[in-house]
Amino acid sequence: MNRKAILYILGWVLNIDGAFMILPFLVSLLYQEEQGWSFLIVAAICIAAGTLLVLKKPKNMVIYEKEGFVIVAFSWILFSLFGCLPFVINGDIPDFTNALFETVSGFTTTGASILTNIEVLSHASLFWRSFSNWIGGMGVLVFLLAVMPMKGGGSQIHIMRAESPGPIVDRLVPKIKNTASILYIMYIVLTVIEFIMLVAGGMSAFEAICASFSTAGTGGFAIKNDSFMSYSPYIQWVVAVFMMLFGINFGAYFLLTIRRFKEAFRYEEARGYIFIILAATAIIAWRLIPQGMGIEETLRHSFFQVSSIITTTGFVTANFDLWPQAAKVILVLLMFIGACAGSTGGGIKVSRVMILAKTVKKEIMIYIHPNSVKKIKMEGKQVSHETLRATNVFFITYILIFVASVFLLSFEDHSLETSFTAVVATFNNIGPGLAEVGPVGNFSGFTNFSKYVMIFDMLAGRLELYPILMIFHMGMWKSAIVPPIKRRMVLRRK
Amino acid sequence: MVSLKKKSQQNNDGLKIIIVGCGKVGSTLVSRLCEEGHDITVIDRDREVVSDMCETYDVLGIVGNGSSYKVQMDAGIESANLLIAVTDSDELNILCCTLAKKVGNCSTVARVRNPDYSDELLYLREKLGLSITLNPELETANEIARLLKFPSALSINAFARGQVEMITFKIPDDNMICGMHLYELQQQFPFQVLICAVERDGVLTIPNGSFILQAGDVVSYVSTVKNAHSFFKKLGLKTHRVSDAFIVGGGKTSYYLAKQLIEMGIQVKIVERDIKRCEELSLLLDKAMIICGDGSDEKLLAREGFFEAESFIPLTGMDEENILLTLHAKRSPNTKVITKVNRITFNKVIDSLELGSVVYPKYITAETIIAYVRAKKNSIGSNVETLYHIFGDRAEAIEFKIQGGSPVVGIPLKDLRLKKNLLIACITRGGKVIIPGGNDTIEVGDRVVIVTMESGFKDVADVLNEG
Repeated sequence: MNRKAILYILGWVLNIDGAFMILPFLVSLLYQEEQGWSFLIVAAICIAAGTLLVLKKPKNMVIYEKEGFVIVAFSWILFSLFGCLPFVINGDIPDFTNALFETVSGFTTTGASILTNIEVLSHASLFWRSFSNWIGGMGVLVFLLAVMPMKGGGSQIHIMRAESPGPIVDRLVPKIKNTASILYIMYIVLTVIEFIMLVAGGMSAFEAICASFSTAGTGGFAIKNDSFMSYSPYIQWVVAVFMMLFGINFGAYFLLTIRRFKEAFRYEEARGYIFIILAATAIIAWRLIPQGMGIEETLRHSFFQVSSIITTTGFVTANFDLWPQAAKVILVLLMFIGACAGSTGGGIKVSRVMILAKTVKKEIMIYIHPNSVKKIKMEGKQVSHETLRATNVFFITYILIFVASVFLLSFEDHSLETSFTAVVATFNNIGPGLAEVGPVGNFSGFTNFSKYVMIFDMLAGRLELYPILMIFHMGMWKSAIVPPIKRRMVLRRK
Repeated sequence: MVSLKKKSQQNNDGLKIIIVGCGKVGSTLVSRLCEEGHDITVIDRDREVVSDMCETYDVLGIVGNGSSYKVQMDAGIESANLLIAVTDSDELNILCCTLAKKVGNCSTVARVRNPDYSDELLYLREKLGLSITLNPELETANEIARLLKFPSALSINAFARGQVEMITFKIPDDNMICGMHLYELQQQFPFQVLICAVERDGVLTIPNGSFILQAGDVVSYVSTVKNAHSFFKKLGLKTHRVSDAFIVGGGKTSYYLAKQLIEMGIQVKIVERDIKRCEELSLLLDKAMIICGDGSDEKLLAREGFFEAESFIPLTGMDEENILLTLHAKRSPNTKVITKVNRITFNKVIDSLELGSVVYPKYITAETIIAYVRAKKNSIGSNVETLYHIFGDRAEAIEFKIQGGSPVVGIPLKDLRLKKNLLIACITRGGKVIIPGGNDTIEVGDRVVIVTMESGFKDVADVLNEG
């Protein structure tokens, strides 16, 4: 285990955390709020600690899968721990557990809130919430890879693999640094376009910035208690479309920018994703007809909710908890599917669902024709045996964690619908569930224990299980904590 | 003999042709091109093969690597007109041709059959200056696909870029045209179809109007694609294409065939022995069902619905296995069976088995080359566009493109003094297809299809009886 490299990179993560916190401080200067100072204090602490860690640059920067997982897991934990401190200090969210839940919910792009009244928060805190959505969407370490000059050859791909969602993560261009930069540039450009379109629709600049950040990261932190219910239809349409766009694999956008349109539009996963959105919207709109809204309104609400849920954003324009049963069930199913791999969305991911579906189809065929040979393909390429196995194991692990979480939450005597969808909504980084945690409810009704379970779920969901699970693996700690020299001595004594 | 020699002098001497690689296709080409009177040099790495070729045919043999500069110089590349590279390796063939193009100034023909290149052949041809790229597997697959589209036919040859088809079929018992004179048939189907060859009891004739058709005759007719179908329909024969195909063997031909069939919406099942190849095929052909197993295992075939299949195509590398499988499949009367035969020996035995549709990949290749060579040799007056050997080897169907200065232009067909056993089957003029009568004429720019029992036609003027 290359501990020096890990600490060095974690140092940079802290520095970046500190640097990001200066932004809400600037916002507070603009609105002349006292709460902003807490951000500056924590930023100072982060940068001080970070600078200490990066003072000595290690010679050996080569890292492997193991280190990649550790770096990613600890970065996210550090980010969340430091990120919640300003809320505690400035009194917007005085309770530490609540503040941590809110921050983790932000960085993991969940958007689940323990707050009953959002509108009383300071602008600085609101900005920080939305900004945490944005930075968590594309990933802290991808940002780090984009801005930090690092040696170590191609080994940083392990960091990127551990952080970015999807069964197959690879470079867009030969250099990782450039890949990370390209991802962030496309991310920023799309965010800016949304911002401009929202401002054009009459939103105030501050609201538009926060809304764009939350949409881009598919986070779902709104700055109003009623999320998007009271905005104009134009703004709801814009946000709905952009949520859908941010749920598409960024590789497709990259192909668009390098003018390989044909390939971009042939993305199998994106096609499946759009098909699911259209089908779900159609069915929900059909079930909503008896509610007597106009055609436009019915379509808008169906599409907005579908787009919001499948991308795991979690904005709402309507209280879908009151919708017909079929519509609710479709939304819950969409929560599991999630967005495309390589996007900012969470969930199981369309590509995994497609691979699993193809596996099932193949197995059925093998029952009928025992001698038949069928290889599973995705995006026109063979899915390797390793990827298939990883996808299957991912699914099993996912179900296990899911079931365990529901079990742990069940001690609170909420309704099954509440505990079940609370886990669905946090594990898949969505935000709102049904019943008590529905679009107009929140997560404040849970005990601290349940909140920590859900904090774990959110982190595990965002990092796709393994980096977080790795922390619980004993062998990992042994090699990380016991210094190498000492270990050698122990071996010799034996 | 004298007259023949005189004739060949008239047409200048034969072309100087170098053939690299003496495998199945290579040796067929040597034998065919030798008959046509060209100067041939063969190059092969295998000494025995070369000496065998030299002993069988009147050719010069060189042992060595055909893509080496020295060997090509030894073979006289500088004065050669044509180099044909048909070794096993696509890359070697391309290299041979590229080098030949640089060293000598000859036309080049390369066999390129790997599916990796098949989509970019046009580009390859243009950039590397290849005159023709041969892909026998693809051509075979095309021919089989044509037959599956039209399963009542025994063979289908396409002319005029696919506008005209020559279709061979066997007249079933008690069909309405049994006992009919050909002129009666012409009256029933005026200017739609033209019967151009009939085989009865192993004897081939190019019939005239008084010929009487009988059940069991194998008949070839020329017509447009549309009329071919309506003609079959009127005769009460099946015209719809098959809905599924059962292929044994997973070679390149199977791949090309399956790809085409899937595009046409035909369900494809492929049985292949090698598990690795099965996996490759399953990646290449999404919609095909790939079965890993021995295609000659009767139980496996039965389990996979062999007898329910509408068509069955054995495409293994072994002729014996293919023929055996065909005979096995023949037991189910509604199955269209197409047999691929790689080696041409035992022609008589194959004929006597009545296998139905048989395709010969080597012939297909050789036909393309011979058409090209004949056209190259005589590019004044007319060009050979396509050439098919029909009824085994006993007749040729040739498509000419007529250019200015040809002696046949402008004369009504009934006034042309044509050779015996020869028929002008079809004229295509500006996209319009004419089934000619006696008053039609041939004009400059036409494409003319003739059927003849003689061999070696290089120019449309060869149809005229000079003696």
